[in-house]
Amino acid sequence: MTAAKTVARYLSVLAVLAVAMLPTYWIVINSFKTLPELTSPVPTFWPHTFTLAHYVALFEQLPFLAYFWNSAYVALWVTAVTLALSSLAAYSLYRCRYRGREVLFKVFMSSYIFPRVLLLIPLYVVFARLGIIDTLGALIIVYVTTIAPFSIWMLRAFFTEVPLELEDAAMVDGASRLQVLVRIFLPLCATGLAALGLYAFLMSWTEYFFALTFIISDPHRTLPLGMAQFLQDYNIDWGLLMASSVIIAIPPIILFAVAGRWFVKGLTAGAIK
Amino acid sequence: MRRPWPAGGRLARTLQADPYFGYLLVLPLVIWIVLTIVYPVLDAVRLSVLNVGYVGAAGRFVGLANYGKVLASWEFWHTAAVTVLWTALNVALQVVGGLVAALVLNQEFWGREFARNWIILPWLFPSIVLATMAKWMLDPTLGVVNYLLLKAGLVAAPISFLGSPVPAFLTATIVNAWHWFPLFALMILAALQTVPKEVMEAAEVDGATYWARLWRVELPSIGQVLYVVIFISSLWAANVFDVIWLLTRGGPSSATNTFTILIYTKGFQEFRISEAAAISIPLFAMLCLYGIWYMRRFMQEGVEGATS
Repeated sequence: MTAAKTVARYLSVLAVLAVAMLPTYWIVINSFKTLPELTSPVPTFWPHTFTLAHYVALFEQLPFLAYFWNSAYVALWVTAVTLALSSLAAYSLYRCRYRGREVLFKVFMSSYIFPRVLLLIPLYVVFARLGIIDTLGALIIVYVTTIAPFSIWMLRAFFTEVPLELEDAAMVDGASRLQVLVRIFLPLCATGLAALGLYAFLMSWTEYFFALTFIISDPHRTLPLGMAQFLQDYNIDWGLLMASSVIIAIPPIILFAVAGRWFVKGLTAGAIK
Repeated sequence: MRRPWPAGGRLARTLQADPYFGYLLVLPLVIWIVLTIVYPVLDAVRLSVLNVGYVGAAGRFVGLANYGKVLASWEFWHTAAVTVLWTALNVALQVVGGLVAALVLNQEFWGREFARNWIILPWLFPSIVLATMAKWMLDPTLGVVNYLLLKAGLVAAPISFLGSPVPAFLTATIVNAWHWFPLFALMILAALQTVPKEVMEAAEVDGATYWARLWRVELPSIGQVLYVVIFISSLWAANVFDVIWLLTRGGPSSATNTFTILIYTKGFQEFRISEAAAISIPLFAMLCLYGIWYMRRFMQEGVEGATS
């Protein structure tokens, strides 16, 4: 291996990482600049003075905590419901044999072709009839719908890995099938469920499209909606936007640090095997 | 390649032959999907033959009038062109970007685990953060991009990236592609790791250049994954709403007006719910045809392989 090759290799890695990370760096350091420095026409690449003023303002001036809580509430519910529905369905599809199994699998997978926007109008009509427009419940329902089909795909790598012998042994010991599923099988797939949980949480935490249409009043706004308001102001308060961008990105980053590698496995194993 | 059933497991397999447990477990999700996808889609068909304006208004049956109106409009075909262009450019950028990043990260280097894990960063950001970043960095007076371009002497005056059609379209495309490429990079990287090292080394010993190895050995062996990636990327790109809406609202001069934007504005800004539904149905039909064609043409593996 020549030195030139090694240098080229590290340069290529740095270039790729720079593309992925530099915009993030830019947001983070700008969130700590004072307002005059932030809005100076000559940007500084490292803050002259660090300030937490934008973060303080976020919590003092705005119902930011309420938005944060709404988002967390929706995301946690979606995660729980998705985990329950799709782990049962995935067990059924990958472990049980019955007529129509393949058709069902196809139906779940092809709900991906569905333009989300096609659901928007009829769901709005139905939700209006049910009187749940402008409630967080409406968001929970629609997020589970958009996330569940892909979950089946994600769980495949984990579910098909568990040896049947384990279920056999438990059944010989007299456990019922439901007990086998809940006590033996699902714990063995814990990493897959963690990966799915990460995906469900992330998708609901970041969602904007359905939230924009289904949520009307300020107390029910989720974080992306709340932030979109400041972005549309005539005089954009960049400090607030930078600070809130950093805060909204923290939960996904923490979750990925914990469950990221299983997520990657769930994502890729379906395509590779 | 089918994953064979593991040896043994006779009892569990016998019990699996009893269908009711299987039906019972899948039933909740089936009910959920029927209520929230199948029913709404049928309802969209119903709405499309009425003349409902805003949600809650009673509609009168107008037959196929909405379809006629929509399909005869310049707007529909302009939007179709924008959507196709948007999707194609996004797929190209995302897949090529993902492939390049995957090839780079597939090398041996110090800090490889870290790089492979955190390349995902752009994908973890909500669209609102993407929009904030883009608007902040590209701002004509405060943005760092214009500052650097001016300083390097590449432009004479600040560019208004979101102010005119072509730059706005390209900007939104790049922002969206930046969001998605890490996900595809990870999928392609996982595939690259399954290419046996010996094969690559043998090709190198035989004197094949880097490009020859890439085109003749590496890419063909991950072909199936590339097809899947292109498919997923095209479906997701065609569905994008957030980034476009937050950056340009479909403008300027409808340059970024894809179908998702058009349907949203028709339904919820102009209050023509029935017309919006009449746009959705042809869109759905087109996507279905595209999906069926693509899967038949490029994806050999059927469902059986996935479920067995």
